[in-house]
Amino acid sequence: MEQLQNKVAELLEKGTISLMIGFQTGLCNDPVPCFIESASQISQLIYNSHCKHNLAVYLHKPEVKQAKKVGIFGNIATLRSILQLLSENQLWDLELTIITINASQELIVFDSIASVEQYIQTNFPELTDEEKELIEKINAMSRQERWTYWKDLFSTCIKCYACRAVCPMCYCTQCTVECNQPQWIKVSSETSGNFEWHTMRAMHLAGRCINCGECGRICPVGIPVHLLTAKMNLDIKKEFGARSGISSSNGYALNTFNPNDKDGFIK
Amino acid sequence: MSQFEPKIVAFVCNWCTYAGADLAGTSRAKYASNVRIIRFPCTGRIDFMLLMKAFQNGTDGIIVSGCHPNDCHYTSGNFHARRRWMVFRSLIDFMGFDTERITFSWVSAAEGAKWADLVNEVTEKVRALGPFTEFKNIDYNSFNQLDNGAIAK
Repeated sequence: MEQLQNKVAELLEKGTISLMIGFQTGLCNDPVPCFIESASQISQLIYNSHCKHNLAVYLHKPEVKQAKKVGIFGNIATLRSILQLLSENQLWDLELTIITINASQELIVFDSIASVEQYIQTNFPELTDEEKELIEKINAMSRQERWTYWKDLFSTCIKCYACRAVCPMCYCTQCTVECNQPQWIKVSSETSGNFEWHTMRAMHLAGRCINCGECGRICPVGIPVHLLTAKMNLDIKKEFGARSGISSSNGYALNTFNPNDKDGFIK
Repeated sequence: MSQFEPKIVAFVCNWCTYAGADLAGTSRAKYASNVRIIRFPCTGRIDFMLLMKAFQNGTDGIIVSGCHPNDCHYTSGNFHARRRWMVFRSLIDFMGFDTERITFSWVSAAEGAKWADLVNEVTEKVRALGPFTEFKNIDYNSFNQLDNGAIAK
């Protein structure tokens, strides 16, 4: 921790960064994001195994864009988001300094994006056992059961769009859900509109989602929305061999094609 | 009671399937009149939200059809669409939608007979499945459930 604080102090002093996005201790000792602009704030900076939130979502905020020279503490989810965002050409206006602490508690300041890619290659996260189990459980259900399962969950959705706000990949300035001519998705939180919203969200993230699971974690009514994109990622990996967030130049699965893609389901 | 007549919406591409359907017409092929054809510039334009909207507005079955692979007027529209449909299909299947009600197909401008067969086949299949009320009635049903729950308490 001290190592991290010293490094950030050094970077701030040298002017390599003018803003550091990291973690501080919040309520009940939970880590919450913090934004460090001067040496006096550095003692807030912490790191522990609970620092799992995806900080890449802040890289779209105008306040952060203004700072221009931004340092970011990157756990695996954040690093993958950054790579995916780079491949979508979203971070061109930032000079990023990416810092991480690896499994053996060593501080790493990445000197290039290529070294981030390399780091991800060797530390690629798989789905958690809990997520795998849930997906298998849902897969094993009959169609009717799946429908009821999701219907019951989606009927509780209050359309707060927290899943959108927390997602680093949801960076459109105008979302389809706010489009009212035509009105694609019902404004009120009726179950049918909720179905449409979650289908749309998942489809727009297909092959781009990096499985950080923030959307499911943030949901105030506890809908495991991250399973939808996780399931699609599994399928995309299986069918197209594509993975999101491993390279800064790959694009994403639905943006490209292979003439030999399987089409057994098409008559 | 009269037989259930399903409503089928066909999202087709302008260059192949629409021309194919036209050929079916000019060759006087007879096929089920349940289908409502909507013409698009390319299958690449057929957004999944259009399918969702069709279901919500009361269609019982959907046909999505375009040029065969390598025949796309815009070179790669159908290749992109194919990937999207594949992902979409697996997603809605995971969510419990009845994927039997969506039929994807390649019909070229020369395949008027294939188009007529396809429409007949899909109409029969959807007729056997019955009206698609799951999605249409979902708000009504969930409202009723809530209401009954409140009364029971």
